[in-house]
Amino acid sequence: MTILTKAISAAAALGLLGGAAAAQTGVDFYKGKTVTYIVATAPGGGYDSYGRLVAEFMQRYLPGSTFVVRNMPGAGHLIGANAIYASKPDGLTIGTFNTGLIYNQIVGQEGVKFDLTKMSWIGKAASDPRVVAIATQSPIKSWKDLIDQKTPVNFATAGVGSASYVETVMLTSALKLPIKLQTGYNGTDDQLAMRRGEIIGSIASRSSYDQFVKNGFGRYIAQIGGKDADTPQLASLVKDAKALELIALVQSQGDIARLTAGPPGVPAAQVEALVGAYRKAMEDKELQERAEKLERPVEPLYGEDVLKAVKAALNQTPETVALLKEALGKK
Amino acid sequence: MIDVMFGALGAMLSNPKTMGLMFIAVLIGLVVGATPGIGGRLSIALAIPFVFGMDMTQGAVFLLTMHAVNGTSGQISSIMFGVPGDGDDAATTIDGHPMAKKGEAGRALGASITASGVGGIIGAVVFAVMIPVLEPVVLAFSPAEFFLLAILGITFIAFLAGKGQIFKGIIVGLFGMILATVGMDPTTGIARFSGNYLFLWDGLSVVTAVLAIFAVPEMISLAAKGGSISAVSIENSSISYRQLLGGVMEVPRHWFLALRTSIIGALIGMVPGLGGSAAAWLCYGHAVQTSKTPERFGHGAVEGVIAPETASNAKEGGSLLPTLFFGIPGSSGMAVLMGAFLILGIQPGPAMFTTHLDLVWTLIWALVVGNLIAVTLLLFITRWVAVLTFINGAVLVPFILVLVTVGAYANEGQWENLLILVAISFIGWGLMRWNWPRAPFVIGLVLGKIAEESLHKALGLWGISFFTRPLSLVLIGLICATIGLAIYTNVRGKSVMPAGA
Repeated sequence: MTILTKAISAAAALGLLGGAAAAQTGVDFYKGKTVTYIVATAPGGGYDSYGRLVAEFMQRYLPGSTFVVRNMPGAGHLIGANAIYASKPDGLTIGTFNTGLIYNQIVGQEGVKFDLTKMSWIGKAASDPRVVAIATQSPIKSWKDLIDQKTPVNFATAGVGSASYVETVMLTSALKLPIKLQTGYNGTDDQLAMRRGEIIGSIASRSSYDQFVKNGFGRYIAQIGGKDADTPQLASLVKDAKALELIALVQSQGDIARLTAGPPGVPAAQVEALVGAYRKAMEDKELQERAEKLERPVEPLYGEDVLKAVKAALNQTPETVALLKEALGKK
Repeated sequence: MIDVMFGALGAMLSNPKTMGLMFIAVLIGLVVGATPGIGGRLSIALAIPFVFGMDMTQGAVFLLTMHAVNGTSGQISSIMFGVPGDGDDAATTIDGHPMAKKGEAGRALGASITASGVGGIIGAVVFAVMIPVLEPVVLAFSPAEFFLLAILGITFIAFLAGKGQIFKGIIVGLFGMILATVGMDPTTGIARFSGNYLFLWDGLSVVTAVLAIFAVPEMISLAAKGGSISAVSIENSSISYRQLLGGVMEVPRHWFLALRTSIIGALIGMVPGLGGSAAAWLCYGHAVQTSKTPERFGHGAVEGVIAPETASNAKEGGSLLPTLFFGIPGSSGMAVLMGAFLILGIQPGPAMFTTHLDLVWTLIWALVVGNLIAVTLLLFITRWVAVLTFINGAVLVPFILVLVTVGAYANEGQWENLLILVAISFIGWGLMRWNWPRAPFVIGLVLGKIAEESLHKALGLWGISFFTRPLSLVLIGLICATIGLAIYTNVRGKSVMPAGA
């Protein structure tokens, strides 16, 4: 073989490679690439373990890819969400954060440097219904008992401005509940306070209270969202139209829990590949089993469907926005 | 009861797989613990994928041992280089590092490693003893008591500062408390002293502050004076197993202090809400306060190493109690551990007494045996670690500064913390240069935040009348006694001064 023929065949090989690259699908793009999966909390806890689970199985269904989980905690998930939004839209950075940031965007809270409607949505893994949990030793046994309280009872929430605080304030004011809010109960402080008796109840996500109730320390008197048959839906206990609207807003939050999204403008082929891998991950029996052990069963939605749900949640009447602003202490 | 107790120990020791996993867990726990800025939480979070499918008992033993021995190796860098890995270890730095500077690194390490092990084991004993009275004790502590405990810890500043320095101590302590107010106010939702910087919303990073106040100034001073960390040359120092053994023997010599601080540590661990670093600092303060010669503290008193180390390992046994029997984790580390327990099929809650008593005993024994393995391993390798203090500073300083930088960054993963590190380092260096006490700063920073948050909650719940709760009155009595004692010692110190000078 002469040098010339060698050169020609080399050029031909290159040409072939170039052709292959042009026809490259999104899935091939990820061969040999590293994807950063940002988790907006510190290691440990629901978001982190769920994020690691999703990253592990997406890697499995994007052959040749490597997923690296990066924890970016702080400012109630804002730091992580801002980082995902500002990352390079090459499909190599995605991540997860609290759905409650929808509230922050609705009122245009400071620190929000993202627009959820513009993000590249990959999917959501679970639904995390909200519950009204009451300490066992309290005489309040039902929703009616709570409404009938003559003097306000102590309810706990995390700090002012947190998603749990916003939801509790909105529901309290819309339903005119006899509740006195005690703030600053982070983590499981509220559960211990309910055991001590200084706190009567809490409006929180069901996954964080199931263990508490299973141990006989508390009971649910109402639930927002979810399909659990053991607790009445709050919407069935309330007649006021405005209140129902707010309950629907809270429910839409709970429905899109454990989400995964990338920055705006990720090329369509990459989004398609990511959504595809996400779908296969969610359909994986092993993931389903592990997710259920972690907290809640998998109830997935993908790509465009998540975007639709997010848009619906963001589209609120001026009255609701005003109420939210009031809850977040904004004029 | 007895047969379950020893049956669990026998089953654990005779199972090679459990023991093998435990040994691996001890190794991982020690390495993670020795690396500044990476907490034990991360190691458990990363281990979670591996415990799926593990046997329940083996998985639980694996994770618990990994978590429990974290604190045993954390003090190595505090003592050797003045680089504390986290808020707990900072208390050990105050006396441990001066010991290393005197050429006594071996003694300090021997004492601290043994103290950690003893603390861990006493913590396990307290765990076992407290099971029947868990409920009334844990539930007796509410935000009112947390507030008063934090204030009690803050009053110890008066003793930490040393004679004639009480006002300097108070100023530095107040400065720490001012910095504790940085961040989102939980009761108003307003970000204080944070500007537009989101990374400040959760408050100043304690690890960064501790590194800046203790580690960086030590490195600057080492670089400036030249030579090695140890002022004594290696020929003149008995850096040997004998020195190490001397350190080990310090713990039985101060057995009563070790016992008290272990029990205090375990009790603080039992009561969720006060935070891990509080145990080490309260016990350090207790050691100073009860010492006949408090002026030795801060200059290499071995009690100052024993007290925080026993406390920080003992609290692990304590904090396991509410996690296992209430299903309510007492710390973020325990929250991760509980998540992993759920995966293994263990349902923490009151039913643990009846359904899983053998597992409970296995975990208690795992704490004991894991701590013993960790202590033995560390004592063997420490002899070579201690030699590092005799290496020329010019070689050591860049290496340690890298360690400090990685620690400040890795803890929260935010580069802005490096700017904070530099800014506070200037303050730390100034304090060191002009001989102001530095420990009160961290006490103010750590306990100031707890005090403020608990005060808000207590006032919200009971108004001003929270002071009249019985346990609150006891704590108020302790606070008054501490302040009285501080004034008395200072007045006495002054009247002696002219004669002495």
